[in-house]
Amino acid sequence: MLGELLNPYHLQIVSFVLINIILGISIYITLSSGQLSLGNAGFMGIGAYTSALLTINFEVPIILGIILGALVAGIFGILIGIPALRLSGVYLAIATLGFGEVMRVIFVNWESVTQGAIGLSGVPHLGREVFKTLTAIGFDPEILGLKNNQFIYLIVVSILLLINIFIVWFFVRQNKSRVGRAFAAIKMDEKAAESMGIDITYYKVLSFTQGALLAGFAGALYAHVMAYISPADFAYHRAIEILIFSVFGGSEVIWGAIFGAAFMTIMPEALRFISEYRYMIYGAILILMMAFRPQGIIDVSLLQWFKKIIKFRKGTDHGTGIKKRH
Amino acid sequence: MLKITGIETFYGKIQALKGISLEVEQGKVVTILGANGAGKTTTMKTISGLLKPKHGTVEFLGEDITGLRPDQLLRKGIALVPEGRAILSSMTVMENLEMGAYHRNDKDIKKDIEEVMTHFPILKERKEQLGGTLSGGQQQMLAIARALLSKPKLILLDEPSMGLAPLIVANIFKIIKEINADGTTVLLVEQNAKQALKVADYGYVMETGKIIINGDAKDLLKDTRIVEAYLGKKSS
Repeated sequence: MLGELLNPYHLQIVSFVLINIILGISIYITLSSGQLSLGNAGFMGIGAYTSALLTINFEVPIILGIILGALVAGIFGILIGIPALRLSGVYLAIATLGFGEVMRVIFVNWESVTQGAIGLSGVPHLGREVFKTLTAIGFDPEILGLKNNQFIYLIVVSILLLINIFIVWFFVRQNKSRVGRAFAAIKMDEKAAESMGIDITYYKVLSFTQGALLAGFAGALYAHVMAYISPADFAYHRAIEILIFSVFGGSEVIWGAIFGAAFMTIMPEALRFISEYRYMIYGAILILMMAFRPQGIIDVSLLQWFKKIIKFRKGTDHGTGIKKRH
Repeated sequence: MLKITGIETFYGKIQALKGISLEVEQGKVVTILGANGAGKTTTMKTISGLLKPKHGTVEFLGEDITGLRPDQLLRKGIALVPEGRAILSSMTVMENLEMGAYHRNDKDIKKDIEEVMTHFPILKERKEQLGGTLSGGQQQMLAIARALLSKPKLILLDEPSMGLAPLIVANIFKIIKEINADGTTVLLVEQNAKQALKVADYGYVMETGKIIINGDAKDLLKDTRIVEAYLGKKSS
């Protein structure tokens, strides 16, 4: 019963969606302090290669590899974030795009380590490793009525889902905290933020680094879900794809990035039956967006509208005039 | 309270301030006047740490604060209201005010917001409205109210009357007087010499990077040279 519903192909798409959501959030975080970074594909590559190389060459456990991958990307984030403070707007976008391209060139040309354009194969697979451990202690997926294959992909999806829930929870909390307020103030007006006693340098580097860390984390997960990575995975196309998640979904709120990532990952798969034409639809949607909803599908007023409807349905808190503030 | 000695600030090779010295005494309103390009804003930027002087020092309560950033100054008790009503346009008036108390941790913030709003009844009326939907004068009031919420000992106001209708300008100056009466020292940079000197105790007049006249505000109001300097005529 359960077995028929869980098609490995669908599970694979769900895991891509979940990884892309992390990438979407990574660009949202830097955008939330008013910085447009197109270097997240590069940070993703750093995370992916770090974790892949550590697990292949040094037999580091996957979990440790992923954490180290994210941390290395985060360190690069600090290193890039500090000089990037001098840039803003489109100049920052160009510089970070350049950084991403430099990373790709390094992945291609440092053949002794990265295998160049051929890429790294045989990266330990997250699902298979967990499966191995579980079977070693005598677990059999047949108990759940699942085939080994299905079970492996189900493990991946469940792990990613938990990670996603944690990340979303963390950043929703952060947005309501002093840090989130500082990001928002800097985005709206740097001069004003500064005069309110917000340390701009610190918060801008913090948000840039959080974005890099998250992108590196997503990259490391990607490496262990795909079991194969190559420099092309972290090229310019990826940078633009990540940007589109946020621009399409809405860059003002975290839900925008989440929705954008989910929609933009599922749509090309759902439209597979019309083959090549789907990219035309993809393009058309983006152009229509630019014309009719430049702020993205989900924005603050849409969220407030949703909240009102939910409140109205529940019939509580309505008209009492008590409004919760953070 | 605030003492500036021999400040020289450069934009690249161009010297914008040629040795400015001035003093702000506790509890007073001191104003810096001058035409465009006289160096008023440069002086303000040097005090607030946005520009670093090549020579000279800025002291606050006997402590050297030369080159400290605005957020560090705020912790020492100096609040800056930058030129051009820097408010947070997509936050509500209330949220803007709360942000003013950003670095504070005490429990009096709510009480202080209420208190500050007594000076600005219009802000109380519009506290749920977004900052960006306020009129120019209201935005300026919000910027000042927000600065007050950091409980500053000294407040720096950079051209609060810029681009506002005369009636609103008068209102802003009335508020500046009230703030001062509540015990906050004010350093006011202005082009509107007449209004500024009316609320100030002491005034400095700048021209091409130097202070050319200083004295009690009452005396300056009568000084014919003020008109000349204010219009930017060569004084010699």
